Amino acid sequence: MVTQTPVTSIAGHAPASQHGSRAFDVVYDWITTVDHKKIGIMYIVYALIFLVIAGIEALLMRVQLAVPNNTFVSPQSFNRLFTMHGTTMVFFVGMPILFGFGNYLIPLMIGARDMAFPRLNAFSFWISAFSGFLLYFSYFAGSGLYGAGTAPDVGWFAYAPLTARVFSPGHSTDYWTLSVLLSSIGSLGTALNIVATTLSMRCPGMKLSRMPLLVWLYFVTSCIAFIAISPLSAAQIMLVIDRYLGGHFFDTQAGGSAVLWMHFFWIFGHPEVYILVLPAFAFANEIIPVFSRKAIFGYPAMVSATVGIGFISMGVWAHHMFTVGLGPGANAFFTLATMVIAVPTGIKIFNWLATMWGGNIHFSTPMIFSIGFLFQFLVAGLTGVMLAAAPFDWQLGNSYFVVAHFHYVLVGAILFMIFAAFYYWYPKMTGRMLSERLGKWHFWLFVIGFHLTFDFMHIPGILGMPRRIYTYEADRGWAIWNMIVSSGAIFQTIATLIFVYNLVVSYFKGAVAGPDPWDAWTLEWSTSSPPPSYNFAKTPTVESRRPLWDLKHPEEPDTQYE
Amino acid sequence: MEQKSEAGHNAVHMPSPTVWPMVLAMGLTLIITGMVTSAAVSVLGLILSLASVIGWFREVLPHEAHQMVDAVEEEIEISSARKSIDRLPIDPMHRKLVPLEIFRITTGIKGGIAGGIAMIVPATIFSLLKYHSFWYATNLMAAGGFVSWAGQSDQFLAQFHLEGLLAALVIHTVASVLVGLLYGAMLPMFPRWPILTAGFLAPLLWTGLLFSTLEFISPVLNERISWFWFIPSQIAFGLVCGFVVNLQAKVRTPQFQALPFALRAGLHGAIGEAGDETHPKDGKA
Amino acid sequence: MSTAVAVAHQANEEWRQPSRGIVGMACLIAAESAIFIIFVVAYIFYTGKSLTGPTPREVLELPIFSTICLLSSSITVHFAVHELRASKVRLSAWWLAATVLLGSIFIASTAAEWYKLIYHDGLTIRTNLFGTTFYSLVGLHASHVIAGLIMLGLALIFTLMGKVNQSHAERLEVLSIYWHFVDAVWVVVFTVVYILGR
Repeated sequence: MVTQTPVTSIAGHAPASQHGSRAFDVVYDWITTVDHKKIGIMYIVYALIFLVIAGIEALLMRVQLAVPNNTFVSPQSFNRLFTMHGTTMVFFVGMPILFGFGNYLIPLMIGARDMAFPRLNAFSFWISAFSGFLLYFSYFAGSGLYGAGTAPDVGWFAYAPLTARVFSPGHSTDYWTLSVLLSSIGSLGTALNIVATTLSMRCPGMKLSRMPLLVWLYFVTSCIAFIAISPLSAAQIMLVIDRYLGGHFFDTQAGGSAVLWMHFFWIFGHPEVYILVLPAFAFANEIIPVFSRKAIFGYPAMVSATVGIGFISMGVWAHHMFTVGLGPGANAFFTLATMVIAVPTGIKIFNWLATMWGGNIHFSTPMIFSIGFLFQFLVAGLTGVMLAAAPFDWQLGNSYFVVAHFHYVLVGAILFMIFAAFYYWYPKMTGRMLSERLGKWHFWLFVIGFHLTFDFMHIPGILGMPRRIYTYEADRGWAIWNMIVSSGAIFQTIATLIFVYNLVVSYFKGAVAGPDPWDAWTLEWSTSSPPPSYNFAKTPTVESRRPLWDLKHPEEPDTQYE
Repeated sequence: MEQKSEAGHNAVHMPSPTVWPMVLAMGLTLIITGMVTSAAVSVLGLILSLASVIGWFREVLPHEAHQMVDAVEEEIEISSARKSIDRLPIDPMHRKLVPLEIFRITTGIKGGIAGGIAMIVPATIFSLLKYHSFWYATNLMAAGGFVSWAGQSDQFLAQFHLEGLLAALVIHTVASVLVGLLYGAMLPMFPRWPILTAGFLAPLLWTGLLFSTLEFISPVLNERISWFWFIPSQIAFGLVCGFVVNLQAKVRTPQFQALPFALRAGLHGAIGEAGDETHPKDGKA
Repeated sequence: MSTAVAVAHQANEEWRQPSRGIVGMACLIAAESAIFIIFVVAYIFYTGKSLTGPTPREVLELPIFSTICLLSSSITVHFAVHELRASKVRLSAWWLAATVLLGSIFIASTAAEWYKLIYHDGLTIRTNLFGTTFYSLVGLHASHVIAGLIMLGLALIFTLMGKVNQSHAERLEVLSIYWHFVDAVWVVVFTVVYILGR
């Protein structure tokens, strides 16, 4: 059954090259744009650049740790490397890339022409971008403009009192504080925009109960961002007051408390994990049904589980601080709260499995990345439950076991879903398909590299290897494991290079995608690829959760079942 | 938002491009950068910020700047690569077990409160028989909330303590309401014998869960609890809770709305009979 | 069973969504509240933990007058929006002017209080934990008041220039929500700093 729907293209859109200098026009166009799609793409490209930078930093650290007593980098550079790697990955890769996809997809999915506040959107992007440059400028001017350049070296959570002027002279720590503070302005702006867009810009018929799950999850993520990122800004302001005005917030000499910083940081830090992982879930919610050729299983359960995760995530932060000695009451509370969060997360995993169950599964690249995500996220969740038990955490806190656990979440779950999202929505963004053959190479090399690195990283942790050490003695029994871990990094590097090559080459030579290459059901596939600046010539009207399904199958529309 | 100008053409209002957001972001960044480099950078940033704030204001006040973009509607085929849907013939008994009427979830709260009150009886009998004190069970429950009570003697727990009473009240009320709510939510899944499931199976499950985890939640309670008495009091809770819930009115589910009118009006017998008619077909399949 | 028919949707059912300005301001308020909560928590956490004097009891006086001014400005800004809705622009301008005046009195009295604390009592942000937490919490609130005053002042100027009409009532309402929030924060700050913390 074939039906028709009005789809748009740009009329009379002359290429900018015809007048004046072409390069300048293109640059000016991108700098002044308030189009959510262009801003989304800028977010993604800028995050990819930082992903490569932070990836190189990780590679350097793995080279250093591959053999005992290595002198590849100095202890000082090693401290800078892990600080910059962590900060970059969280603030300048994870959040921008997820906000980028959100920016691009949310208005398209709810049938809107743009975000609620297009100018604020541009501002949020640019301030995030500039804050990233500010952070890396520290490599050239870390101790002030005239001193030798050094990057921050206090770790990504920058525990007090190491950040006090006495222990961190010069400006390198200020670069960290100020750039993170600036980037949080951008994150809050985008979160605000996403909430306002979701609530106020939906096309007729797009009730909250009909929104694609991706939009729901981004909505919850943004709500978490208000409550989680603002405390970080507050703590950074306090640190700036301490460092510039001589305040005593975290000055232990004057009665200040170092533990207070830990609380403030992790009140941000743990919900931040959910800010990063919920968009990954959001991608899975869109990709798994389409490639299983079934509607998502348990839509209301998915929404309520997401909201549940949002609430519980606010009450688990101190599980990062079991080793501080919080006392039995707090330990019991945070252990239980942390374990409880496994319940809504488990609901999600079962719903994805139920979606795939009995489906006609197509093993395209987005889907195989999603399946990898399902397995790896399960393992990451299980080690999370292990670490949630306070006595277990006392043994393994701050060891490589913890590092392996959270990289399992960040790489095994989030990065895998980001890759899946690239393969899935790249055709929409550029009008051309990514190469499936290169995609399969990318997937398998990355899976092998990922498991070599992060499965085996648990073992030196159990053997007692602490994180953030720049080298170790040969007689500890850690050498063989570290060698395996580092060798996995090589596979991941090759896979990432293939991915970047695929992105570039497919842009020019990929197969033409057409408006709906995956036979999908949400509104973004009802307009041309790439969509025109106004998204939809006519504002669409929806009657169910899968508007394109209704158009494709008028003999069996979803509206009958809602 | 849009006006039809010519046939097939839509003139669409889109916000016009503007450089000011980017300049403001750069200005703010430069102000901050001045803090780690030199004050001159901050001054430059301040000038850029002020200029861009003014520029931005002039763009949105009194009216937001717009540009008109011509949109052309183009007919593009939206079609599915796969065959059109043909549902498998479904056995009419399919989904028969979905209840037509269920309890409101809130009735669970009432049941939980009633059950919570009922539970006090066996708990008090236990504490009177074993420790000859009215307050022992109360204090034992409260001990979950007071870490300092961990080392206290039985005599101490047998005496009256106001804070113990209050803490036990809070814990007991919250737990009763939550369990009642859980029961209310689970009831639609057990349409057959609600009293049996609520009265015996659920308390046994709940007791098993507590038995395995109490060690971590409240070590004091775990040391002294008498499981022999705990189970009857749970069952008392479940029976009363189930009884109270059963007294409440049921509400009709969407399944009921989907029934043919004759069935809904009660003209055609119960749904069970309707199902019975189709049994011969099952045999064929 | 397959006779289930979806309830026909009313095609011309009015499609209403919340105003984006008000949603945006609600989000901003949520984020700002979180910032203030952290500063208030730090203030409470450090109450009485200063190693040296002066203590709050020695130097703080209850700013009753300025509090009354700030809280009553919430009422005046409400009337300004109300009158603008009713298209009474001149009346709205008067209420706006009253709001700006009351807000300025509050800021002026905060400035006077700080002047006294710094030059008379010798309490600066470096002196002790009380100084650090007091100036940052009250200063954070004052900076929000100043931002609000600038916006209200601009609104007043535009109104006097005759560029404001009824169609701007919603924007003024968004601004007034922000102003109510700033006042509500002051209630918390006042309670914590001047009543509980003393």
